[in-house]
Amino acid sequence: MNISPPAFREQNLSQASALALAAAIMLVPANFLPVLYTQNAGKIRTDTIFSGIVGLCQEGWWGLGVIVFIASILIPLIKIAGLAWLLIAAQRGPNEDAHRLTRLYVVLNFIGRWSMLDVFLVAFLSGVVQFGLFAKAEPRIGIAAFAAAVVLTVMATEAFDPRVLWERPVTTTPPLHPCHESSR
Amino acid sequence: MKASADINTESPDPAQDSSRGGLVCRECGYEHTTVSLAPGDRALCVRCNSVLVKKSWFGHDATLAFTITGLLLILPSILLPFVTVSKLGNEHTSLLFTGVRVLWGDGLHLLAVWVLVCGGLAPIFLLLCLSGLLMPQRFGWKPIEAPRLLWTSRAVAQWALPEVQVLAVLVALAKLGHVVQVKMGAGFWCYAALAVTTTLAWRDFELNFQLEQPNQRNS
Repeated sequence: MNISPPAFREQNLSQASALALAAAIMLVPANFLPVLYTQNAGKIRTDTIFSGIVGLCQEGWWGLGVIVFIASILIPLIKIAGLAWLLIAAQRGPNEDAHRLTRLYVVLNFIGRWSMLDVFLVAFLSGVVQFGLFAKAEPRIGIAAFAAAVVLTVMATEAFDPRVLWERPVTTTPPLHPCHESSR
Repeated sequence: MKASADINTESPDPAQDSSRGGLVCRECGYEHTTVSLAPGDRALCVRCNSVLVKKSWFGHDATLAFTITGLLLILPSILLPFVTVSKLGNEHTSLLFTGVRVLWGDGLHLLAVWVLVCGGLAPIFLLLCLSGLLMPQRFGWKPIEAPRLLWTSRAVAQWALPEVQVLAVLVALAKLGHVVQVKMGAGFWCYAALAVTTTLAWRDFELNFQLEQPNQRNS
Protein backbone atom coordinates (compact mmCIF):
# COMPACT_ATOMS: atom_id res chain seq x y z
CA MET A 1 0.00 0.00 0.00
CA ASN A 2 1.44 3.40 -1.01
CA ILE A 3 0.93 6.27 1.37
CA SER A 4 2.01 9.86 0.90
CA PRO A 5 5.14 11.03 2.78
CA PRO A 6 3.23 13.48 5.06
CA ALA A 7 0.71 10.77 6.01
CA PHE A 8 3.57 8.33 6.54
CA ARG A 9 5.36 10.83 8.79
CA GLU A 10 2.22 11.48 10.82
CA GLN A 11 1.40 7.78 11.23
CA ASN A 12 5.00 6.95 12.13
CA LEU A 13 5.26 9.69 14.74
CA SER A 14 1.89 8.95 16.36
CA GLN A 15 2.70 5.24 16.72
CA ALA A 16 6.14 5.92 18.18
CA SER A 17 4.75 8.63 20.52
CA ALA A 18 1.98 6.34 21.82
CA LEU A 19 4.44 3.52 22.51
CA ALA A 20 6.98 5.84 24.17
CA LEU A 21 4.26 7.34 26.38
CA ALA A 22 3.04 3.86 27.38
CA ALA A 23 6.64 2.87 28.19
CA ALA A 24 7.12 5.98 30.36
CA ILE A 25 3.90 5.15 32.27
CA MET A 26 4.95 1.53 32.80
CA LEU A 27 8.29 2.64 34.23
CA VAL A 28 6.48 4.02 37.30
CA PRO A 29 5.13 0.65 38.64
CA ALA A 30 8.29 -1.03 37.35
CA ASN A 31 10.41 1.09 39.67
CA PHE A 32 8.09 1.24 42.69
CA LEU A 33 6.71 -2.31 42.88
CA PRO A 34 8.85 -5.16 44.26
CA VAL A 35 10.57 -7.32 41.64
CA LEU A 36 12.15 -10.07 43.76
CA TYR A 37 11.48 -11.81 47.09
CA THR A 38 14.47 -13.60 48.62
CA GLN A 39 14.87 -15.66 51.75
CA ASN A 40 18.26 -16.78 53.00
CA ALA A 41 18.90 -18.38 56.42
CA GLY A 42 15.83 -16.73 57.92
CA LYS A 43 16.63 -13.32 56.45
CA ILE A 44 13.81 -12.10 54.22
CA ARG A 45 14.10 -9.32 51.62
CA THR A 46 11.64 -7.90 49.14
CA ASP A 47 13.49 -5.76 46.61
CA THR A 48 12.53 -3.16 44.08
CA ILE A 49 14.97 -2.57 41.22
CA PHE A 50 16.67 0.27 43.08
CA SER A 51 16.86 -1.45 46.48
CA GLY A 52 18.32 -4.52 44.73
CA ILE A 53 21.10 -2.34 43.33
CA VAL A 54 21.70 -0.75 46.75
CA GLY A 55 21.83 -4.28 48.24
CA LEU A 56 24.46 -5.33 45.71
CA CYS A 57 26.60 -2.30 46.55
CA GLN A 58 26.19 -2.83 50.33
CA GLU A 59 27.43 -6.39 49.93
CA GLY A 60 30.51 -5.03 48.18
CA TRP A 61 29.47 -5.94 44.62
CA TRP A 62 30.01 -2.43 43.26
CA GLY A 63 30.78 -3.57 39.72
CA LEU A 64 27.61 -5.64 39.50
CA GLY A 65 25.61 -2.82 41.07
CA VAL A 66 26.85 -0.45 38.38
CA ILE A 67 26.02 -2.95 35.58
CA VAL A 68 22.46 -3.47 36.89
CA PHE A 69 22.04 0.29 37.50
CA ILE A 70 23.05 1.07 33.92
CA ALA A 71 20.91 -1.68 32.39
CA SER A 72 17.81 -1.29 34.56
CA ILE A 73 17.58 2.38 35.47
CA LEU A 74 19.86 4.48 33.28
CA ILE A 75 19.15 2.86 29.89
CA PRO A 76 15.30 2.98 30.17
CA LEU A 77 15.48 6.64 31.25
CA ILE A 78 17.93 7.55 28.47
CA LYS A 79 15.69 5.76 25.97
CA ILE A 80 12.55 7.61 27.04
CA ALA A 81 14.35 11.00 27.09
CA GLY A 82 16.07 10.28 23.75
CA LEU A 83 12.82 9.18 22.11
CA ALA A 84 11.07 12.30 23.39
CA TRP A 85 13.83 14.46 21.88
CA LEU A 86 13.64 12.61 18.54
CA LEU A 87 9.86 12.83 18.40
CA ILE A 88 9.79 16.56 19.21
CA ALA A 89 12.52 17.23 16.60
CA ALA A 90 10.73 15.10 13.98
CA GLN A 91 7.46 17.03 14.45
CA ARG A 92 9.14 19.95 12.70
CA GLY A 93 9.83 17.86 9.60
CA PRO A 94 13.21 17.41 7.86
CA ASN A 95 15.78 18.64 10.32
CA GLU A 96 19.10 20.46 9.90
CA ASP A 97 20.35 18.52 12.91
CA ALA A 98 19.43 15.21 11.22
CA HIS A 99 23.01 13.87 11.38
CA ARG A 100 23.23 14.08 15.16
CA LEU A 101 19.65 12.89 15.69
CA THR A 102 20.20 9.87 13.46
CA ARG A 103 23.27 8.95 15.50
CA LEU A 104 21.18 9.28 18.67
CA TYR A 105 18.59 6.94 17.14
CA VAL A 106 21.27 4.33 16.32
CA VAL A 107 22.57 4.47 19.91
CA LEU A 108 19.05 4.16 21.38
CA ASN A 109 18.35 1.21 19.10
CA PHE A 110 21.51 -0.55 20.26
CA ILE A 111 21.27 -0.03 24.02
CA GLY A 112 17.60 -0.96 24.43
CA ARG A 113 18.05 -4.74 24.44
CA TRP A 114 20.39 -4.64 27.48
CA SER A 115 17.54 -3.50 29.73
CA MET A 116 16.19 -7.07 29.63
CA LEU A 117 19.09 -8.00 31.92
CA ASP A 118 17.06 -7.58 35.12
CA VAL A 119 14.20 -9.70 33.74
CA PHE A 120 16.55 -12.58 32.91
CA LEU A 121 18.27 -12.11 36.28
CA VAL A 122 15.03 -12.52 38.24
CA ALA A 123 13.94 -15.48 36.08
CA PHE A 124 17.28 -17.22 36.60
CA LEU A 125 17.44 -16.60 40.38
CA SER A 126 13.85 -17.83 40.78
CA GLY A 127 14.70 -21.04 38.95
CA VAL A 128 17.98 -21.73 40.72
CA VAL A 129 17.46 -20.73 44.36
CA GLN A 130 14.88 -23.30 45.48
CA PHE A 131 15.95 -24.67 48.87
CA GLY A 132 12.68 -24.37 50.74
CA LEU A 133 13.19 -22.73 54.14
CA PHE A 134 16.98 -22.42 53.75
CA ALA A 135 17.07 -20.21 50.67
CA LYS A 136 14.44 -19.19 48.17
CA ALA A 137 13.94 -16.59 45.43
CA GLU A 138 10.57 -15.69 43.91
CA PRO A 139 9.57 -13.16 41.26
CA ARG A 140 7.20 -10.32 42.15
CA ILE A 141 4.79 -8.37 39.96
CA GLY A 142 7.14 -5.38 39.47
CA ILE A 143 9.33 -7.42 37.15
CA ALA A 144 6.36 -7.94 34.78
CA ALA A 145 5.81 -4.16 34.70
CA PHE A 146 9.52 -3.64 34.05
CA ALA A 147 9.53 -6.19 31.19
CA ALA A 148 6.50 -4.44 29.69
CA ALA A 149 8.30 -1.07 29.90
CA VAL A 150 11.38 -2.52 28.18
CA VAL A 151 9.32 -4.11 25.41
CA LEU A 152 7.41 -0.86 24.85
CA THR A 153 10.62 1.21 24.61
CA VAL A 154 12.06 -1.23 22.06
CA MET A 155 8.80 -1.14 20.07
CA ALA A 156 8.76 2.68 20.21
CA THR A 157 12.31 2.86 18.85
CA GLU A 158 11.40 0.40 16.11
CA ALA A 159 8.24 2.33 15.25
CA PHE A 160 10.21 5.55 14.83
CA ASP A 161 11.63 5.81 11.33
CA PRO A 162 14.68 8.14 11.32
CA ARG A 163 14.10 8.88 7.63
CA VAL A 164 11.44 11.40 8.70
CA LEU A 165 14.33 13.59 9.90
CA TRP A 166 15.80 13.86 6.40
CA GLU A 167 14.88 15.77 3.27
CA ARG A 168 13.73 13.61 0.37
CA PRO A 169 16.62 13.27 -2.14
CA VAL A 170 16.43 15.32 -5.33
CA THR A 171 16.07 13.10 -8.41
CA THR A 172 17.86 15.42 -10.85
CA THR A 173 21.19 15.52 -8.98
CA PRO A 174 23.99 13.65 -10.82
CA PRO A 175 25.17 10.30 -9.33
CA LEU A 176 27.58 10.39 -6.38
CA HIS A 177 30.14 7.92 -5.02
CA PRO A 178 29.42 6.49 -1.57
CA CYS A 179 32.14 6.81 1.04
CA HIS A 180 34.42 3.82 1.03
CA GLU A 181 36.31 3.04 4.23
CA SER A 182 39.18 0.65 3.79
CA SER A 183 40.39 -1.57 6.62
CA ARG A 184 43.99 -1.21 5.49
CA MET B 1 37.83 -0.05 -5.02
CA LYS B 2 35.23 2.47 -6.14
CA ALA B 3 31.49 2.08 -6.19
CA SER B 4 28.89 4.27 -7.77
CA ALA B 5 25.64 5.53 -6.32
CA ASP B 6 22.39 6.47 -7.95
CA ILE B 7 19.99 8.88 -6.40
CA ASN B 8 16.37 7.90 -6.39
CA THR B 9 13.26 9.11 -4.67
CA GLU B 10 12.72 8.10 -1.12
CA SER B 11 9.85 5.73 -0.54
CA PRO B 12 7.59 6.29 2.44
CA ASP B 13 7.17 2.54 2.74
CA PRO B 14 10.35 0.81 4.00
CA ALA B 15 9.23 -2.50 2.50
CA GLN B 16 9.42 -1.03 -0.99
CA ASP B 17 13.04 -0.12 -0.63
CA SER B 18 14.36 -3.62 -0.15
CA SER B 19 12.36 -4.89 -3.12
CA ARG B 20 14.26 -2.60 -5.54
CA GLY B 21 17.50 -4.40 -4.86
CA GLY B 22 19.84 -1.41 -4.32
CA LEU B 23 21.65 -0.48 -1.14
CA VAL B 24 19.18 1.56 0.83
CA CYS B 25 20.41 3.34 3.93
CA ARG B 26 18.27 2.12 6.81
CA GLU B 27 18.75 5.34 8.73
CA CYS B 28 18.07 8.06 6.16
CA GLY B 29 16.50 6.19 3.22
CA TYR B 30 19.12 7.27 0.69
CA GLU B 31 19.48 4.76 -2.12
CA HIS B 32 22.75 3.63 -3.71
CA THR B 33 23.80 1.07 -6.27
CA THR B 34 25.55 -2.12 -5.14
CA VAL B 35 29.23 -2.06 -4.16
CA SER B 36 32.24 -4.31 -4.37
CA LEU B 37 34.46 -4.40 -1.28
CA ALA B 38 37.55 -6.18 0.06
CA PRO B 39 37.27 -8.17 3.34
CA GLY B 40 36.97 -5.81 6.32
CA ASP B 41 36.04 -2.79 4.16
CA ARG B 42 32.89 -0.78 4.74
CA ALA B 43 30.69 1.33 2.48
CA LEU B 44 29.10 4.33 4.15
CA CYS B 45 25.99 6.27 3.21
CA VAL B 46 26.90 9.44 1.30
CA ARG B 47 24.30 11.40 3.21
CA CYS B 48 24.24 10.30 6.87
CA ASN B 49 27.53 8.36 7.06
CA SER B 50 25.86 5.20 8.45
CA VAL B 51 27.37 1.83 7.53
CA LEU B 52 25.57 0.45 4.45
CA VAL B 53 27.52 -2.78 4.08
CA LYS B 54 30.60 -4.32 5.61
CA LYS B 55 32.48 -7.12 3.92
CA SER B 56 33.11 -9.91 6.41
CA TRP B 57 36.67 -10.67 7.54
CA PHE B 58 35.84 -14.34 7.65
CA GLY B 59 34.89 -14.92 4.01
CA HIS B 60 31.72 -15.94 2.19
CA ASP B 61 30.80 -19.01 4.17
CA ALA B 62 31.43 -17.68 7.68
CA THR B 63 27.82 -16.63 8.31
CA LEU B 64 26.55 -20.07 7.35
CA ALA B 65 29.25 -21.71 9.49
CA PHE B 66 28.21 -19.61 12.53
CA THR B 67 24.56 -20.41 11.82
CA ILE B 68 25.08 -24.18 11.60
CA THR B 69 27.25 -24.16 14.74
CA GLY B 70 24.48 -22.27 16.55
CA LEU B 71 21.86 -24.77 15.39
CA LEU B 72 24.00 -27.68 16.62
CA LEU B 73 24.29 -26.04 20.05
CA ILE B 74 20.53 -25.66 20.59
CA LEU B 75 19.74 -29.16 21.89
CA PRO B 76 22.69 -29.45 24.32
CA SER B 77 21.88 -25.96 25.65
CA ILE B 78 18.31 -27.00 26.42
CA LEU B 79 18.88 -30.57 27.63
CA LEU B 80 22.19 -30.49 29.53
CA PRO B 81 22.41 -29.21 33.14
CA PHE B 82 22.69 -25.43 33.15
CA VAL B 83 23.77 -24.71 36.71
CA THR B 84 24.01 -26.84 39.85
CA VAL B 85 23.73 -25.07 43.21
CA SER B 86 24.11 -26.65 46.63
CA LYS B 87 23.51 -25.49 50.20
CA LEU B 88 23.80 -27.47 53.43
CA GLY B 89 24.03 -30.75 51.55
CA ASN B 90 21.01 -30.05 49.34
CA GLU B 91 21.76 -29.98 45.63
CA HIS B 92 19.58 -28.46 42.93
CA THR B 93 20.28 -28.73 39.22
CA SER B 94 18.47 -26.39 36.86
CA LEU B 95 18.09 -26.38 33.10
CA LEU B 96 18.00 -23.40 30.73
CA PHE B 97 14.24 -22.94 31.05
CA THR B 98 13.76 -23.85 34.73
CA GLY B 99 13.29 -20.14 35.50
CA VAL B 100 10.56 -19.93 32.85
CA ARG B 101 8.73 -22.84 34.55
CA VAL B 102 8.96 -21.08 37.92
CA LEU B 103 7.67 -17.78 36.48
CA TRP B 104 4.76 -19.67 34.91
CA GLY B 105 4.09 -21.49 38.19
CA ASP B 106 4.01 -18.17 40.06
CA GLY B 107 1.26 -16.91 37.76
CA LEU B 108 3.46 -14.56 35.70
CA HIS B 109 2.43 -16.29 32.46
CA LEU B 110 3.09 -13.47 29.99
CA LEU B 111 6.49 -12.81 31.51
CA ALA B 112 7.36 -16.53 31.36
CA VAL B 113 6.43 -16.62 27.67
CA TRP B 114 8.45 -13.47 27.02
CA VAL B 115 11.59 -14.84 28.70
CA LEU B 116 11.13 -18.04 26.72
CA VAL B 117 10.80 -16.04 23.49
CA CYS B 118 13.78 -13.71 24.04
CA GLY B 119 16.10 -16.31 25.55
CA GLY B 120 15.20 -19.35 23.48
CA LEU B 121 12.61 -19.24 20.71
CA ALA B 122 13.75 -16.04 18.97
CA PRO B 123 17.44 -17.05 18.69
CA ILE B 124 16.42 -20.51 17.41
CA PHE B 125 13.97 -19.02 14.91
CA LEU B 126 16.58 -16.49 13.79
CA LEU B 127 19.14 -19.25 13.16
CA LEU B 128 16.52 -21.26 11.22
CA CYS B 129 15.67 -18.21 9.09
CA LEU B 130 19.36 -17.53 8.40
CA SER B 131 19.96 -21.13 7.36
CA GLY B 132 16.86 -20.91 5.12
CA LEU B 133 18.38 -17.85 3.42
CA LEU B 134 22.01 -18.93 3.27
CA MET B 135 21.83 -22.62 2.40
CA PRO B 136 20.07 -22.18 -0.97
CA GLN B 137 22.62 -19.49 -1.82
CA ARG B 138 25.58 -21.64 -0.82
CA PHE B 139 24.47 -24.89 -2.42
CA GLY B 140 22.71 -23.42 -5.47
CA TRP B 141 19.23 -24.55 -4.39
CA LYS B 142 16.10 -22.68 -5.38
CA PRO B 143 15.48 -19.97 -2.72
CA ILE B 144 12.29 -20.43 -0.74
CA GLU B 145 10.42 -17.24 0.18
CA ALA B 146 13.70 -15.29 0.51
CA PRO B 147 12.14 -11.79 0.91
CA ARG B 148 9.74 -13.07 3.58
CA LEU B 149 12.56 -14.89 5.41
CA LEU B 150 14.70 -11.76 5.27
CA TRP B 151 11.88 -9.63 6.70
CA THR B 152 11.19 -12.25 9.40
CA SER B 153 14.89 -12.45 10.33
CA ARG B 154 15.04 -8.68 10.83
CA ALA B 155 11.86 -8.71 12.90
CA VAL B 156 13.01 -11.62 15.08
CA ALA B 157 16.62 -10.44 15.52
CA GLN B 158 15.71 -7.54 17.81
CA TRP B 159 14.07 -9.95 20.27
CA ALA B 160 16.80 -12.59 20.18
CA LEU B 161 18.71 -11.76 23.37
CA PRO B 162 20.85 -14.77 24.34
CA GLU B 163 23.88 -12.56 25.05
CA VAL B 164 21.83 -10.51 27.53
CA GLN B 165 20.70 -13.70 29.26
CA VAL B 166 24.31 -14.90 29.53
CA LEU B 167 25.32 -11.59 31.15
CA ALA B 168 22.33 -11.83 33.54
CA VAL B 169 23.37 -15.36 34.56
CA LEU B 170 26.95 -14.21 35.22
CA VAL B 171 25.70 -11.31 37.36
CA ALA B 172 23.38 -13.68 39.27
CA LEU B 173 26.12 -16.24 39.82
CA ALA B 174 28.49 -13.64 41.22
CA LYS B 175 25.72 -12.53 43.60
CA LEU B 176 24.88 -16.14 44.54
CA GLY B 177 28.47 -17.10 45.17
CA HIS B 178 28.39 -16.33 48.91
CA VAL B 179 24.88 -17.72 49.50
CA VAL B 180 25.21 -21.14 47.84
CA GLN B 181 27.87 -23.21 46.13
CA VAL B 182 27.62 -22.92 42.37
CA LYS B 183 28.79 -25.29 39.64
CA MET B 184 28.36 -24.36 36.00
CA GLY B 185 26.98 -27.12 33.83
CA ALA B 186 27.71 -28.06 30.22
CA GLY B 187 24.34 -26.56 29.24
CA PHE B 188 25.53 -23.10 30.30
CA TRP B 189 28.72 -23.30 28.23
CA CYS B 190 26.77 -24.53 25.21
CA TYR B 191 24.28 -21.69 25.65
CA ALA B 192 27.08 -19.11 25.98
CA ALA B 193 28.61 -20.48 22.75
CA LEU B 194 25.15 -20.35 21.14
CA ALA B 195 24.89 -16.67 22.16
CA VAL B 196 28.28 -15.90 20.60
CA THR B 197 27.58 -17.76 17.33
CA THR B 198 24.10 -16.25 16.99
CA THR B 199 25.47 -12.74 17.52
CA LEU B 200 28.32 -13.30 15.06
CA ALA B 201 26.02 -14.90 12.47
CA TRP B 202 23.53 -12.04 12.64
CA ARG B 203 26.16 -9.28 12.60
CA ASP B 204 27.92 -10.89 9.67
CA PHE B 205 24.67 -11.45 7.84
CA GLU B 206 23.07 -8.07 8.50
CA LEU B 207 25.82 -6.03 6.90
CA ASN B 208 26.76 -8.56 4.24
CA PHE B 209 23.66 -10.05 2.77
CA GLN B 210 23.13 -7.28 0.24
CA LEU B 211 26.54 -8.11 -1.19
CA GLU B 212 25.93 -11.81 -1.26
CA GLN B 213 23.16 -12.09 -3.82
CA PRO B 214 24.03 -14.89 -6.29
CA ASN B 215 24.50 -12.53 -9.27
CA GLN B 216 27.00 -10.39 -7.28
CA ARG B 217 28.75 -13.21 -5.48
CA ASN B 218 31.90 -13.01 -7.58
CA SER B 219 31.98 -9.24 -7.98
